[in-house]
Amino acid sequence: MPLTREDVAGIAEYARIGLTDDELTEMTSYLNDAVDLLDPLLAYDLEDVEPTFHPIGDLVNVVRDDVVVAGLSLEEALANAGSKRGRAFRVPAILSDGGAA
Amino acid sequence: MGCFDALSARQIAAGIVAGDFSATEVARASLDAIAARDGQVQAFLQLSEDRALAAAAKTDAARAAGEVLPPLAGVPVAFKDNMNLMGTRTTCASRMLETYESAYTATCVQRMLDAGVTPMGKLNMDEFAFGSTTDSSAFHPTNNPWDTTRVPGGSSGGSAAAVASGEITIALGSDTGGSIRQPASLCGVVGMKPTYGMVSRFGVVAFGSSLDQVGPFGRHVEDVALALNALTAGGHDRFDSTSQDGEQDFLAHLNDSIEGRSVGVIPALFEAKGLAPEVRTALQRAADKLADAGANIIEVDLPNMASAIAAYYVIAPCEAFSNLARYDGVRYGYQEPGCSTLAEQSSLSRAHGFGAEAKRRQMLGAYLLSSGIYEKYYLAAQKVRTLITADYRRAFKQVDAILMPASPTPAWKHGAISDPAELYLADIYTISNNIAGNCGISVPVCLGAESGLPIGAQLQGPVFADAQLLTFARALERSCSMEGVVAPGFSGRGGEL
Amino acid sequence: MKTLQQVLEDWEAIIGLEVHTELTTLETKMFCGCRLSHDDEPNENVCPICLGLPGALPVPNEKAIESIVMAGLATNCQVMRRSMFYRKHYFYPDMAKNYQTTQGPIAFVMHGHLDLEVNGEGAQERPDATVKKASDGSYVAPIRILRIHMEEDAAKMNHLGGVEGRIGGASESLIDYNRCGTPLIELVTEPDLRTPEEARLFMEKLRQTFLTLGISDCSLEKGSMRCDGNISLRRRGETTFGTKTEMKNLNSFKSLHDALEYEIRRQAEVLEEGGVVYQETRHWEPSKRRTVVMRVKETNDDYRMYPDPDLAPFDLSDEFIERCRARVPELPDAKRDRYVRTFGLKRDHAARLAGDPAVARFFEETVADADEKLAGVVANVVLNIVPAHPGVDVHQARVISELLAADAVTFAQAHEVLEATAGTDVDPETYVDEHGMRQSTDADALGAIVDEVLARCASQVQQYRSGNKKVVGFLVGQCMKATGSAGNPKLFSQLLVQKLDG
Repeated sequence: MPLTREDVAGIAEYARIGLTDDELTEMTSYLNDAVDLLDPLLAYDLEDVEPTFHPIGDLVNVVRDDVVVAGLSLEEALANAGSKRGRAFRVPAILSDGGAA
Repeated sequence: MGCFDALSARQIAAGIVAGDFSATEVARASLDAIAARDGQVQAFLQLSEDRALAAAAKTDAARAAGEVLPPLAGVPVAFKDNMNLMGTRTTCASRMLETYESAYTATCVQRMLDAGVTPMGKLNMDEFAFGSTTDSSAFHPTNNPWDTTRVPGGSSGGSAAAVASGEITIALGSDTGGSIRQPASLCGVVGMKPTYGMVSRFGVVAFGSSLDQVGPFGRHVEDVALALNALTAGGHDRFDSTSQDGEQDFLAHLNDSIEGRSVGVIPALFEAKGLAPEVRTALQRAADKLADAGANIIEVDLPNMASAIAAYYVIAPCEAFSNLARYDGVRYGYQEPGCSTLAEQSSLSRAHGFGAEAKRRQMLGAYLLSSGIYEKYYLAAQKVRTLITADYRRAFKQVDAILMPASPTPAWKHGAISDPAELYLADIYTISNNIAGNCGISVPVCLGAESGLPIGAQLQGPVFADAQLLTFARALERSCSMEGVVAPGFSGRGGEL
Repeated sequence: MKTLQQVLEDWEAIIGLEVHTELTTLETKMFCGCRLSHDDEPNENVCPICLGLPGALPVPNEKAIESIVMAGLATNCQVMRRSMFYRKHYFYPDMAKNYQTTQGPIAFVMHGHLDLEVNGEGAQERPDATVKKASDGSYVAPIRILRIHMEEDAAKMNHLGGVEGRIGGASESLIDYNRCGTPLIELVTEPDLRTPEEARLFMEKLRQTFLTLGISDCSLEKGSMRCDGNISLRRRGETTFGTKTEMKNLNSFKSLHDALEYEIRRQAEVLEEGGVVYQETRHWEPSKRRTVVMRVKETNDDYRMYPDPDLAPFDLSDEFIERCRARVPELPDAKRDRYVRTFGLKRDHAARLAGDPAVARFFEETVADADEKLAGVVANVVLNIVPAHPGVDVHQARVISELLAADAVTFAQAHEVLEATAGTDVDPETYVDEHGMRQSTDADALGAIVDEVLARCASQVQQYRSGNKKVVGFLVGQCMKATGSAGNPKLFSQLLVQKLDG
């Protein structure tokens, strides 16, 4: 069943991608086309096939020692932030009942 | 003594050691060539003149002090703009990261610096590496040096074009579904995607984490091998859990004979719909040349390769959605001004920071990972990946390498293909290699009989047989007459050494 | 509202716990080399990895995996050899990547259990008919553990402009990523708990176990150990589950107990009035002693989980597991049993000592080779006197125990002596002697004083003989007075009774 505009609007809301009405229309048709492209996958009987999530052969148990490595200075950490206050990153109200920011 | 673009990386490094010219002179020649050529090519997003001259001066000082110079000392190199180099901007050709300054350096970049290269700057790409034209860069397109009305391919189009136009000697790119091999083919240079895990991904902005691999571009197979030496020096990178120790001397067997070895061809691929006749002819010729060099050409089959595009367009968008979720305008990146709630700020920052294709891929990924859909497509795709990997393993029991096109057509005009799905299908020859994690390389074979544009042949090899793959590539290069070629419109412009 | 006991006669409470424990005793975070933060300035301990900068990649901390395997072994879990990290996506800025790295369907350790000994008043919460109780009313409740998985903690957010730092009404929030990426293990129980007391005991036992393993400081107050509870009710005899609510902010053993008690009574009231319990998250307000709705869950959240391609899978080797097993120290139950066996301690004393590794260590160093009598005194001193006087060392505790065992000082004097000597290198015995506090235990000398007091207090002797045995206390007081408190009251008491009865 093809994706509807409402489905796509729901995904966009989840993925935090604001879409205009026109973009929503376009995105809906794109997603349905793209999903059609995936049909060959549905033709397989894959019950006995193990998935390959990592194309790294037998590589397992990759870990590091519990040893401190120098990180970023506060200036470096905050350098690219759009909003900050003092030593912290800042975001506007999380709930819409917040006071005017 | 002539233009620096006629020299290979090895010749530049040797010339500096011999005192024929200084690293500073080479750096200035490269800067000069960039000044003369990049107005038309538009390969660079950021030129790091001061950094380049400082690095070159360091090389010259080391030589003056009698130190042994590293293998790529003074060679002008530039990096795809998804690679972090501390103190430079790393934009991924996106508004989202337009002003983003790297706070650390990627392992691949650091290893090139450790090998002595002169870093010239950062190169254009499709936004976040989503694309095969470089037209989706938020800042400007890059033009194919062979015909500036055409695309250089992508997503590492800036890397391919900068090398093809002779502005620099080596470039690094990244390849998630063909993003090194396809632009190399379209621009007439050598481009290699090493085995997954061979080169650390640490510090390379992620697109599809299980598919991404960094690799070099050069005008000589030997330069690519030298770069791979540098990229793997030190072996496993402790900052990348999926990296493995691939350190070895890739020059050691570069010029070995391929006599008696076997190269596979897949007949069905040569008959595939959409394959340009001149590409077919070029590939036929490449097979003949390899046979002339003593290789046995054997027909092989990758029965599940036809499903690779479908598997790829599940795995890549899912990983991309997840990897790009962090761009919400909070810690870095574009932040929409004047928002009163967090949700509004995130949604609008992402709406206005990302271009169309970046949004499409993330939306597709977010859909495919949702509950119920995940099992139907994502799990199926990863299982088909197992089948494709097994196909390759079977084929590589018969042959040492497989020959196929890197792109179904030579470079096309800007804007000639606008339907995303049609563009996706053009990845058919490259993506199965990323799915399986094998190594692959594109080597220029000839100019198309009709178009006069360069055409590359792709060779694919088994995992961690990268050195052997380079031997085949070198054999092919030797038998064709494209080695070291700079795009004719740019060759020798500026860059006097 | 009905009382808890009344409700539980008619209703069965189905309780499951989710317990998050930060591995605070490690040096570094889960996936990067940043130092773990304790009371550092905001964003002091951050790096490209835990800030989720473009291109950064995670590498797991081996010690953290050892810790979770130890936690699993200590809770009778099965170590799952093959497991993977997954990405769990939700857009919220306390997660720098907008996904949390956690584990999928297979956790490092799964399918364990802890057996609770429920006794005393707490055991009465459970109606007798629903469990096999011993003659003293105690019972054993086996609680199954579904899994313990490894994940990374989130950043701390500071909400400004609202009431009491709450998110509601806040106009902006500040983010400190120090905690982001701290190794966190999440234990999920099966819904096997039936009373608030069982839940409290489970949490207490888990805390004791993790403290003994040394994998965390397990501070509920500071939030390094956090507990959420899921609770639903069903009529006694029913087999299907009712709708559950999730309880947050259970940051003390008392809150855990009281919030569950409140919620059981609240749900019972709703259901008995014909109402509906909604699937929702509720917040415990300790000051108002009630839970309030945080949010209603209309649909299950879709976290779009999938295996993290940046992290290689795990296939834990026998060697690794055995190495972890070798690092698991004696656990509280075994230690308790050993104390009872070796030192003849009372079971509840032994359990209290064994429950806190620091206390147990102090006890063992103090008790050393003591006989059963002295060991009992040492246990009493360690549990009941030492905690009141910070700085008491093992030697001081041992000396004061010996003085007590020899009746040379009273319990009250022991407190006085330790208060004066704690944190100094003064030997308590020296202090006692210098201050003339030693109680005489010379029976002849004390006997003379007893005779003198008995002669003086004829009316009290009369009262005693006519049945008022309590008057001995007065007579002991008189004896003490006569010696300037230098006699041993216990001995006086014995001598007085001897002479009065004789």
